[in-house]
Amino acid sequence: MKSNILRFAAFSIVAIGWVASDFAQVPNAQTIHEVGQQYKEGNTLQGAMDNSAIGSQAMFEANLKAKKNIVDMKPNTFLAMWNNPAFAVQFEKYLSAPAETSEDYKLYTQRINKIMELLSPGNATKANQDEAFNLLTKASEFESDANICTTIHDAVYAAANVRVLVKNLTDANQQSERELKAAEYNQLHSALSLTLPALAPSKNDVGVYNNQQKELQTSIMDPSKAEVSSLKQTIQRNHAQITTAEIQAKFQMQALILQLFVQRRYQHVIILNRFYRALFDDGDQSLEQFNQMADKMGYNKAAGQAKITADANPKGAIASGSGNNSGPGVGASAGTGAGAGTGGAGGGAGASVGTGYYNNAGMDAAALSGSGINLGVENLSVESAQNALTTAMRGASRTFKSLSQIDGIANEIIRDVNEGVKVYKYLLEKEEMESAASQLAAVFTKGEYLPSVRLLSQDDKRKTLAYAQLCNRLVNAANSGNIDVLTDVVDKMKRMDPDFDDAEIHAKLQGVKTASSLLVAQAKVAAAKGDLQAVQTEITRAAALWPNNPELQNFSSEMSRVSEKASPMVQALSDFDQLEGQGNYRRIFDEKEKYIAAVAADDSNNKSVRQEKLRSVLDRMQEIETSIMRAQEIARRGDQSGAWEGLEVTFRKYPDDSKLGQMRADLTTQTPDFVNDIRQAKEFESRKEYGSALAWYLRAQGRYPMSDLSKQGIQRVVHVLVPDAN
Amino acid sequence: MSRRKKSRSLPPWILPVLVLLIALGGYWIFSQGGVEGSLRTVEELDPALYYGNANSLRGNTYRIDAEIDSALGNSPLKGRLFSVTLKNAPKGGPPVILPVLVPAGLGSLTIQKGQHYLMKVKVDENGLLNVEEARKP
Repeated sequence: MKSNILRFAAFSIVAIGWVASDFAQVPNAQTIHEVGQQYKEGNTLQGAMDNSAIGSQAMFEANLKAKKNIVDMKPNTFLAMWNNPAFAVQFEKYLSAPAETSEDYKLYTQRINKIMELLSPGNATKANQDEAFNLLTKASEFESDANICTTIHDAVYAAANVRVLVKNLTDANQQSERELKAAEYNQLHSALSLTLPALAPSKNDVGVYNNQQKELQTSIMDPSKAEVSSLKQTIQRNHAQITTAEIQAKFQMQALILQLFVQRRYQHVIILNRFYRALFDDGDQSLEQFNQMADKMGYNKAAGQAKITADANPKGAIASGSGNNSGPGVGASAGTGAGAGTGGAGGGAGASVGTGYYNNAGMDAAALSGSGINLGVENLSVESAQNALTTAMRGASRTFKSLSQIDGIANEIIRDVNEGVKVYKYLLEKEEMESAASQLAAVFTKGEYLPSVRLLSQDDKRKTLAYAQLCNRLVNAANSGNIDVLTDVVDKMKRMDPDFDDAEIHAKLQGVKTASSLLVAQAKVAAAKGDLQAVQTEITRAAALWPNNPELQNFSSEMSRVSEKASPMVQALSDFDQLEGQGNYRRIFDEKEKYIAAVAADDSNNKSVRQEKLRSVLDRMQEIETSIMRAQEIARRGDQSGAWEGLEVTFRKYPDDSKLGQMRADLTTQTPDFVNDIRQAKEFESRKEYGSALAWYLRAQGRYPMSDLSKQGIQRVVHVLVPDAN
Repeated sequence: MSRRKKSRSLPPWILPVLVLLIALGGYWIFSQGGVEGSLRTVEELDPALYYGNANSLRGNTYRIDAEIDSALGNSPLKGRLFSVTLKNAPKGGPPVILPVLVPAGLGSLTIQKGQHYLMKVKVDENGLLNVEEARKP
């Protein structure tokens, strides 16, 4: 019983995966036209204040839009397969894996082939069956087998034990029947041996006489009747047990065969199928037991196929019973979750409560029921597990009506896969990557574990791997909504496979770009109207559609400029940076209050740099202004040369200050000879004509004896002319 | 009968007077040449030319009549550097003050501020006036 449940659990997990993969490929109901319609009609979020919501909405639309581009274009089946992440990961793993060329795998393949050969029709003698049976455990030693041969071995062993049990019960029944015949004879003999009195009893003694006769008959006949009855019951119980055991064994093996089929272990399917035929050689090749189980599986319509009401108390039961065939509805059934119980409709033993009856017209009854079986799939967090299981089982029961059918299909798939591998290699030689990749994906899907697929070398798979990775990137790029990446990937795919039809996707990508640009245009219109909310909305959506849209960058720059103008503080900082960069320190000094305030309020990362620059500018201007004021004062006293000289010193340090330059020029015109003497002296000094320079300095000093410039110049030149002068 | 003109002769004392006068003139002339010595034939320096383009005067020797203005430096090897004020500077203009280097070879000269010297100077490579000879007038 437990083994059946476990077997069922394993099957159900595989079946759920099967069904779940179907779910994963259900196309999205929305179309590109619907998405476009949303833009056309406007969005309810357009006036919303929550920009993050708008962004999310736009990202969703972009994601959907890009994804639809991929899904809707249907360039080939290969890309469609890549839309299933589970498949993509599995397939990529296969493409990256080395070929199964190890000695172990060769040995494993030889053993599997040997087992199949030993069990093949015409060879399946008792000795060959035993040899094949023994080889199962050896084949299971290899990792590639995933212990499936051990499972088959156990199932065959269990079924063989059932057959021994059935034989023993049959022998016991034959013995019981012989004993029954003897008992019936003895009963008859006892009845015949009843002695009647010679004389009829008197009228008054009739009553007493009759009572004595009854007691005599009872004492003679009852033991015989009891023995007969007991033997009959024993025989009936044994019959029921034989039937139940056989049904259990058959169901177990049928379920395992279907499970292996779903697992795509077609060689194992054929092996187990041939064992089944050898064990149950009564000609019953139907899947009746499995089909009955499938029909009795519950289906929760309220939950739907995608949602399941998980049953935390999974139950399964197999019950059998035998009853008096004189009673109507005699039989047994397995209750849904109740197991074998009491209260059967018939009067016989072994009845149980159930939702339906099978064989209820016979004397013996047995039934299996999986109704309510949950198998604990809720622990896998798979919704609709029960309904999926039911659907899968019913699908299987409707697809396959007999084991011969499964056997035939398995053989056909093996042949088809082997042929597909040859076709793949041919397409690869012709560099038709799209077709080759599709072919390999199809072959992989059908016969992942078949030797021809496992033996494909890495060289054979390398190009497909690269193509698959590009496809993977294509799907990921589509999911990300980054159409620049998507464009790049499509271009790469085109380069790798010139047959790749990229026209449609490029057209749709262009459509997305156009949509993004239109949104930017709308944002500009909104900006012109002063509708900042609409600007934010449109820009957010445009950025979500095409993040690297150059028009977005331009618009952003324009908006930045506008916003800066809108803020005096920001504008002041911008002006400061600009003026400082230009060296226009006078302008900064003239408006120092504004810039001091702006830099003090600056909250950017450049605050400290700006502060340092502003401090430098102010120090410099302070020095210049002081020099100018001093010169003005000296000039006021009539000492034009002195005033000029004072400015000249500052001017040499800050030659780019316009005010300083202007005043220096004015003073130059007022004391031209002295200025000329100094300049000539400088000129000769720079030309290293120190004698002439000294003469000019002396001349300047002669004009203006207080001249510091002359004095300094004389000292410099004398030091050059007579370095060792004391 | 022709009459023979009576000849008139110079007085006899005139000759010694003339000789005396000639001797006195020669003495005066020689005494004058002794003051200026060899500078008498040396060209005088034109300050405007010097200021304008001393390069063109390099290597030339000139005579200056100057008054010592100040000592600028004193090098045991190279000599003494003075600033001097030309005595014959153009009138109405600023004083012409020139630098002169009195080489160590003329170390016997005692030069002080305010002294008047006639100097023979040579314009060297960098425009400095090197004193070759100096005498008090």
